[in-house]
Amino acid sequence: MSEYYVCTGCALLCDDIEVETENSKIKTVHAACRKGVARMKGCSDPLECTVDSENADIDFAIAKAAEILREAENPLIFGHGNSSSEAQKLSIGLAKKVGAYLDDTSSFCQGPVIEAILQDKLKTCTLDDIRHKADVIIFWGADPSNSHPRHLSRYSYFPRGKERQRGWEEDRTAICVDVRKSETAVICGDNRFYQIPMGGDAEFMDALLSALSSKVPKTSFGFDAKRILELANVLKKAKFGVICVGLGLIYSLEDLEPLFRLMDKLNEVSDFNLMPMVGQYNMRGFNHNLYEEAGYINRVKFNSETADAEHGPDFSVVEALRNKTVDAALVIGSDPLSSLPLSVSRYLAEIPLITIDPCRNLTSSKAKVTIPCALGGVESGGTAVRMDGVEVELKKILDTENLPDAEILRKITEAI
Amino acid sequence: MGFGQFLASPEIKLKVVTYRDVFQNTAQETSRFGEEYEKSSAVIKLDPKDIAKLAIKDGDTVIVKNSSGRVVVKAMKSDYEDSHAGIAYMVNSPWSNSLVPDETGGTGVPKFKNFEVTVQGAKGGKVTGISEIF
Repeated sequence: MSEYYVCTGCALLCDDIEVETENSKIKTVHAACRKGVARMKGCSDPLECTVDSENADIDFAIAKAAEILREAENPLIFGHGNSSSEAQKLSIGLAKKVGAYLDDTSSFCQGPVIEAILQDKLKTCTLDDIRHKADVIIFWGADPSNSHPRHLSRYSYFPRGKERQRGWEEDRTAICVDVRKSETAVICGDNRFYQIPMGGDAEFMDALLSALSSKVPKTSFGFDAKRILELANVLKKAKFGVICVGLGLIYSLEDLEPLFRLMDKLNEVSDFNLMPMVGQYNMRGFNHNLYEEAGYINRVKFNSETADAEHGPDFSVVEALRNKTVDAALVIGSDPLSSLPLSVSRYLAEIPLITIDPCRNLTSSKAKVTIPCALGGVESGGTAVRMDGVEVELKKILDTENLPDAEILRKITEAI
Repeated sequence: MGFGQFLASPEIKLKVVTYRDVFQNTAQETSRFGEEYEKSSAVIKLDPKDIAKLAIKDGDTVIVKNSSGRVVVKAMKSDYEDSHAGIAYMVNSPWSNSLVPDETGGTGVPKFKNFEVTVQGAKGGKVTGISEIF
């Protein structure tokens, strides 16, 4: 029987991947999407172990990293989206030891929704529930055809699930609400695509709420009331509905109140769940791990003496860099110089910076210390949490000289 | 050499929405510093009416700037059926992120998917390379 591996290309963590290896490299990847294949085959720019841009041995680099964190008054530890849960837990321990700001990519991404789910403010389900039961699926500000290429084929639209034996042709209705006609919107079809203006999400939600309450839906942008009423009828008849929430929706809302209102109403008239469309493979894991440890999902600063955590926007990676309140940084499993506004991330190049990653990236090119780690799910095992909160075991496929991310963090912590 | 080069290129104000693209994301997995990543990232998709206003051709380079940054990227005609004049699309990348303002209203979340830029023909200027962005 074939051995199946887990793809760490995104937070779907597809666990049906087969690989063929040759000369200690992955030659062929079966079943993964193109992004997943590229992730599992590894990058063409592996990170080297360096201190001050000179090649260094791992022990020296670890000693330097420890020195930077020890000497800093307000260090920042950031990243974690592409780190194993084991590494994330060690990161939390390290942050406590040195009194660091600790944050992850959810801070400017799916954070508010994950927090609401963990606090039982939003009803949710698993991807397997969607596969087997979902008949009405709304992609709101989400384009999984690009961000999570196997979402529709493995879970949300095309498969013949246990209670959806006639698949997408008869058993499922996919709906897209977005500011542009994405590839996912094309799959949903013109009748099921609701194009709204930029920033119009909250108003469209309230209009839909009116329609669900049998009132005339009104929007300031004059959206056809008949179409909103039709949509409300489809949602009312759903046996198992799901809203897949993407960044387009999250960035458009000032707070989650309109989403809470809509979900409450949908669960009065029908049965609806929410799925956060998490990007990086273990972002949700970080949120779970920190929540368990400190009661917050992100944006904390630990007191090194009491190990108490302060929490709030001021401790977010964006505000910490914008206000220059941190004086050194350790970045693990992330590339903030690519993913944050340059106006914010530029400050990272002015402070002692350490990066831990399998590959070279913009952040590593500005780092004082770079430490290559094993590629999670390929060169090292561990655990990770899928976008729906299900824990998944990662298996090692290949040997590497690089240490796993958790091992590097353990050594840095010991050296402080 | 034509007379046109002595005239200032028209400049227009646009709103930018960023999005994800699986081909660009795949190129990113292989190499942040590769040609394919630049080719699939350093692009702005424009409505045909805005392309006409800029007096450029599909595929010409344009200067995209605001108070946060300035990049030269390739302008491409978007293939949406509905007009979206005044709104441009950029794939999420270091090129788009160099234009995202740092204002957050103290929330810790920048406006990644809604910011203003001015666009102007670059008269054959080269696309900004990834190492030049910083």
